[in-house]
Amino acid sequence: MALSGLEIYKLLPRTNCGDCDFPTCLAFAMKLAAKQAELADCPYVTDEAKVELEAASQPPVRLITLSSNGHKVEAGNETVLFRHEKRFFHKCGLFVRVKDTDDLEAVKNVASEVDGFTVDYVGLDLELDGMAVEAASGDPDTFAECVEAVRSATEKPLILIGSDPDVLKAGVASLTAKASGTVPLLYGATPENWESMAALAKKADVPLGVRPGGGLEELAELTEQVKGAGVQNIVLDPAARDFAGTLTRMTQMRRLALKKNFRPLGYPIITFPGEGAEGPEEEVVLASQHIAKYGGFIVLDHFSQASAYPLLVFRENVFTDPQEPIQVEPGLYEINDPTPDSPVMITTNFSITYFSVANEVESAGVPGWLIVADAEGMSVLTAWAAGEFDADRIAKSVNATGVADKIDHQKLVIPGHVAVLSGELEEELPGWDILVGPREAVDLPAFLKLGNE
Amino acid sequence: MTVEIPVEKWPGQVREITLGATADEGGTRSHTVTVGGETTLPFLHFEGEIPHPPVVGIEIASRRPDDWSPLLLETWSDVVDDPAAWAKAAEEAGADILLLTLSLEDSVDDATSAVRQVLEACDLPLIVFGPGQADKDNELIVPVAEEGAGERLVLGVCEEKNYRTIVAAALAHDHLVNSRTPMDVNLAKQLIILIHDMGLPLEQILMDPTTGALGYGIEYGYSVMERLRLAALQGDSMTQQPMLVTPGEEAWKAKEAKVGDDVPAEWGDWGERAINWETLTATSLIQSGADLVVLRHPETVQRVQKTIDALMAEAGEPELVAA
Amino acid sequence: MLVQEADQILQRALQENGPDTEVAFPNTAYYLPLVFGMTGREVQTLGDLVPVIEDAKRLLRPVPADRRWTPYLGETLDSGIATLLAEETIEAVRFIYGLEPQRVPGLELAGGTAFTSPDANGDGQAAGNGHLNGPIDDIQLRSWGIQLVDGRMPGFAAIVGAAKSNEVAVKIVRELQQRNILTFLAGNVNGRSIIHQLQEEGVEMGYDTYIVPFGLDTISAIYALGFAVRSALTFGGMKGGQAREILHYNKERVFAFVLALGEVDDLKYATAAGAINFGFPVVADTRIPQILPTGVTTYEHVISMPFNEIAAEDDLGRAEKLVQKCIEVRGVKVRVTEVPVPVAYGSAFEGERVRRADMRVEFGGKYSRAFEFLRMVDMDEAEDGKVEVIGPGFDEIEDGGAMDVGIVIEVAGREMQQDFEPVLERQVHYFVNAASGLQHIGQRDIAWIRISKAAAEKGFDLEHFGKILHARFHADFGAIVDKVQVKIYTDPAELEKWLETARDAYDFRNQRLADLTDERVDEFYSCTLCQSFAPNHVCVVSPQRLGLCGAYNWLDCKASYRINPTGPNQPIRKGNLIDAEKGYWEGPNEFVYQHSNQAIEEVTMYSIMENPMTACGCFECIAMVIPEGNGIMVVSREDPSMTPAGMTFSTLAGMAGGGLQSPGIMGHGKFYLLSPKFISADGGFKRVVWMSSFLKESMADELQEVAEREGDPDLIDKIADERDATTVEELLPVLEENEHPALTMPPIF
Repeated sequence: MALSGLEIYKLLPRTNCGDCDFPTCLAFAMKLAAKQAELADCPYVTDEAKVELEAASQPPVRLITLSSNGHKVEAGNETVLFRHEKRFFHKCGLFVRVKDTDDLEAVKNVASEVDGFTVDYVGLDLELDGMAVEAASGDPDTFAECVEAVRSATEKPLILIGSDPDVLKAGVASLTAKASGTVPLLYGATPENWESMAALAKKADVPLGVRPGGGLEELAELTEQVKGAGVQNIVLDPAARDFAGTLTRMTQMRRLALKKNFRPLGYPIITFPGEGAEGPEEEVVLASQHIAKYGGFIVLDHFSQASAYPLLVFRENVFTDPQEPIQVEPGLYEINDPTPDSPVMITTNFSITYFSVANEVESAGVPGWLIVADAEGMSVLTAWAAGEFDADRIAKSVNATGVADKIDHQKLVIPGHVAVLSGELEEELPGWDILVGPREAVDLPAFLKLGNE
Repeated sequence: MTVEIPVEKWPGQVREITLGATADEGGTRSHTVTVGGETTLPFLHFEGEIPHPPVVGIEIASRRPDDWSPLLLETWSDVVDDPAAWAKAAEEAGADILLLTLSLEDSVDDATSAVRQVLEACDLPLIVFGPGQADKDNELIVPVAEEGAGERLVLGVCEEKNYRTIVAAALAHDHLVNSRTPMDVNLAKQLIILIHDMGLPLEQILMDPTTGALGYGIEYGYSVMERLRLAALQGDSMTQQPMLVTPGEEAWKAKEAKVGDDVPAEWGDWGERAINWETLTATSLIQSGADLVVLRHPETVQRVQKTIDALMAEAGEPELVAA
Repeated sequence: MLVQEADQILQRALQENGPDTEVAFPNTAYYLPLVFGMTGREVQTLGDLVPVIEDAKRLLRPVPADRRWTPYLGETLDSGIATLLAEETIEAVRFIYGLEPQRVPGLELAGGTAFTSPDANGDGQAAGNGHLNGPIDDIQLRSWGIQLVDGRMPGFAAIVGAAKSNEVAVKIVRELQQRNILTFLAGNVNGRSIIHQLQEEGVEMGYDTYIVPFGLDTISAIYALGFAVRSALTFGGMKGGQAREILHYNKERVFAFVLALGEVDDLKYATAAGAINFGFPVVADTRIPQILPTGVTTYEHVISMPFNEIAAEDDLGRAEKLVQKCIEVRGVKVRVTEVPVPVAYGSAFEGERVRRADMRVEFGGKYSRAFEFLRMVDMDEAEDGKVEVIGPGFDEIEDGGAMDVGIVIEVAGREMQQDFEPVLERQVHYFVNAASGLQHIGQRDIAWIRISKAAAEKGFDLEHFGKILHARFHADFGAIVDKVQVKIYTDPAELEKWLETARDAYDFRNQRLADLTDERVDEFYSCTLCQSFAPNHVCVVSPQRLGLCGAYNWLDCKASYRINPTGPNQPIRKGNLIDAEKGYWEGPNEFVYQHSNQAIEEVTMYSIMENPMTACGCFECIAMVIPEGNGIMVVSREDPSMTPAGMTFSTLAGMAGGGLQSPGIMGHGKFYLLSPKFISADGGFKRVVWMSSFLKESMADELQEVAEREGDPDLIDKIADERDATTVEELLPVLEENEHPALTMPPIF
């Protein structure tokens, strides 16, 4: 049974020292209760309290971090089955796999392509997270060479895949020798090789993927064994590859971790959609399923811009905080090459609001200036109700954009939902005419065309 | 180690709804299409029944839709000028149902004749949507309902501000309606109640919670649908309607799908990107509970149907790929 | 009696034609619709009619001698149905003899049922010449049915008899046409029918004009009820024989009434009784016994409104009022789509300012008095749409001047309640503001209204306030308001008198609000308006705990539910009391569990420490426990400063919102602070150790009252604010120095 913030508070030192980076012990306690903080952040908690709080404070899905050269991929720490219940916290890592039996130049090319792929989405730079290198040759040197080739093309985190610990060891060695702080994922421990794999992972202090021969029972046994051998950071292979199978397994695993607090399966999941799909077109679809349904690290076998872009956008969408929607950068947006006599409109920086307005203006073919006000990412009505889109805020936004210097009129179109602000705005923006636009974006084209006549 | 798989016992079930009518039932379709009936979340076969797979529709238009992406117009080529030919082509492309969208420029005669032609040209159950302006929708849908009497069409679009006439037309001629609300659980429920209050049986109402395209608010549609489906399974009767969404229309509005010129190079190949855009929009919504998705590109239809087949495959124990 | 007559007619027809003769109304489904609907009998031949007459006989009871119907209503109604069965039988037989549709030489119908072979259908021209319409065909039924069902057509009127004069007949029909009400005509008085009257006056009749002449005798009024039955079968999904359901469907959904013109004979009475079964009230323009108690019909059953006694200037005015009465009795709602004022009107003008320089005249403010007062009156005390200006206009006032005005709005409605008066009154602000060139501030007797010169030049006058209010109350509150009349007082004596009345009412309402306790009501209300962004949050609004956004109190929710029964404010039965102190009831627990997606299992109304109510994010204030101070702090949205919790309002909002239940922190509305139920389970208002100065200042008087109620008049001064403490360390000495009562209260946890 999870403890409430107040119950946790009673077990804390109650000194308000602030060393946990929260202002008070009560605030920290409430964050712990919401599973948004770790007990380890409090240096002064007593051992007895620790034991009592352990169950309540440990995230049901352990956080696993891969890193190298300043890049970091985290998976885990998830607390819900459905994003609307709270949110999905850590975006699953997207990796592209190469094999050490491939031509080295080709490997390098793929790695640099993946490394260099950046695409802008609502002002965010979306990127893939790293590469996976599979030891298909069975030869340590070949593998090490391949890992080095990949490393020469990208500094992003890596996943090393193989079933022979000795071969993987060569790869790990070549990585860690070059830079400290590099944490790749080793994959994977099987019922056959887990002892030596676990030893390798423990020695290198890197997370270890585990792959059972059968169902969830075997998987749970295997993780317990690996854990027993001293490896704390574990990543799970659901041991299914197809659409229905991965959906079933991964749902069951997330439920067990969250609802039953079943520790042996309380780790992020790794998937290989390319192995369950017929061809690259299907791989994208299966990968998107794994993004939405509980994947932690997703290893793709194909890379193309036309599929990486939609996958990255989908991941962004799924992992946004439903209560804190994506915001657009506040500022002045030019639509259809506006001229000094084009209309000036204002809306809020809630992405959906912005998109609906911008899309309508754009598709109407009417040039216009669109001011996006910082309204804490809320829609027009919500922002207005919350006092984040009032006359004062609008006036400040208009002035901050300097739009007045770009136009030869002083007319501002405000959303119809905030018509009530027009009077106040005329006072806040002396000399401006405040025009009340339609309530819904969809009526903007008609409104703008009317204004043109 | 024994692992006890958590299985939810859902008290509720999605309503089963049948579209179209065969000759025996007073229509002219070669078969009907039934959706709904689920007793668990999408594709969790270990937990409950999923008696009917989600259904894929293709959207066609009563006249050449010039605002559609050139990619679509090229793909469908000549048939976009002829609803009957288009209906046939869509049937051949593998659609389970058709959605015919009427145009603002259609007269009553244009609309009814398009419906007649489509019904004659193909065997699939048909959905007919007005052009999306209240007055025009009402003007066209009423005679369309009469023209299609007996066929158990789905008439749309019922929205909070304009549903009464369409529902009345459905009542008069025994059709179904599509109840559309803007991405909100309570509004979705409320409109179902209002439509049902007019006397239309729940077996004749599809729920369309609306969606955004990938990158354009899909997460809202996705979560609202998940919540509606959870509510349905938890026994909330007015949310137990099968859900229809139109990812085709939404995805092809997005710049990523719609246009090929003057876009960032890193967006990649237009054709592939566009198909991916529509496919991912559709498959994610299917994962969140959609029972009917309406698409626009024939290649997407293939991919989405293949995905549905894969998800319906009820392997007892998930298949394990040898390492 | 008609049933005997029908029996005789049937017997003769059987002899003359044989039992296998086909019987049907042309171009209609559902056999003989009334018989089919009421009895389930599928009449196809003359022989099939025999058991129908038997049914009618069984329903028949001896008619009470003196026509005092009220006590015998049940039997009257059965007799009514018997009459209808007989009437339909007679009409069916008449079709066999070619007596239906009835011939009227020279009559040309503008669209009507075709009576030749089915192949000739659709040729409306040929269909309607030289005879009346008879039953409405199926195509037209569906077409009109759709309009009746979707509300474009408010209902239908069955007019039986003849009007006082041709002029009156035309006026009545025009009044109905104007309202888009379908009109059916039948019957006569001494051989003269309204159909003749209209024909003589050249009024076009037929489907195209929504005026359908059924027949010259009373019996043909049966087609109107046949139409009603077929509507229920077609649109209500009913089956033949579901008499109760069909009658109920018509009562609930078909807004129809019977208007009996001229003398009412026995047959008309009996037919009227049949109509009452459908929930259709009967209004007569002659003196007949009234049947007022409601039950079967929505409101009154039979209304007598002798034509010559109707108060109006002339017959045309009387005709208008007669129609008005019919509409009112049936409960057909008036729709006002446009606000009839000489200036632009729309929400786009809500925020407009009228500056002194642009002002023609103002009411209220510094230089004059203005008040607005809305009260409920009885249905017959209000004349809908009436606007009176009592006293001089503002012509005599110089530009930029001021004058006193009182706006008194009287509303009547069958769903209206006195508790809704303040809810409606508050709307005056929004309604008036939406007119271009008008500015409205304040409410009650601190209202302040300005009219701009531009608006005055366009002709905006005092009476237009009334026009606006009439139109908008109908449009926005039609569910609870049936009639609105407005009186605008500028006459000093009258104004004074009404101001006093208004102030008494304001006091009464204040008292009522104060008396309205959680214990005294059976229902709380939910508010799920915010679930679009906080899906698991449910506000429970009780008389003593308003919504956390401050916008909805219990009365608002109650009114909102009446207006929109499927909307976000639903009644929550309190159900069994579980814990009076903490505020647990079974009802709210269940409701919240169901509507929070089963995320919240229990909720207290009066505690922040145990299962507190969740919040969306719209809260005016956040309360949070300060363990060190053995109390709580309350920070308001307006306060940007640091709080002793170590967090500002916006950081705290992240913790308090989102529909999560976190004991120790809670969002709430400002006015909840004043409630005796404010965290009463945890010690009440005395627990407040810190409070934003904004709250202290903006609610100084009210808070002082709370302090006195709590028995500690200096309490407010003992509470710290951001000016003397923004950390716990700073807070504690202040509390000690002030001897804050919380320090000596039992531990908060």
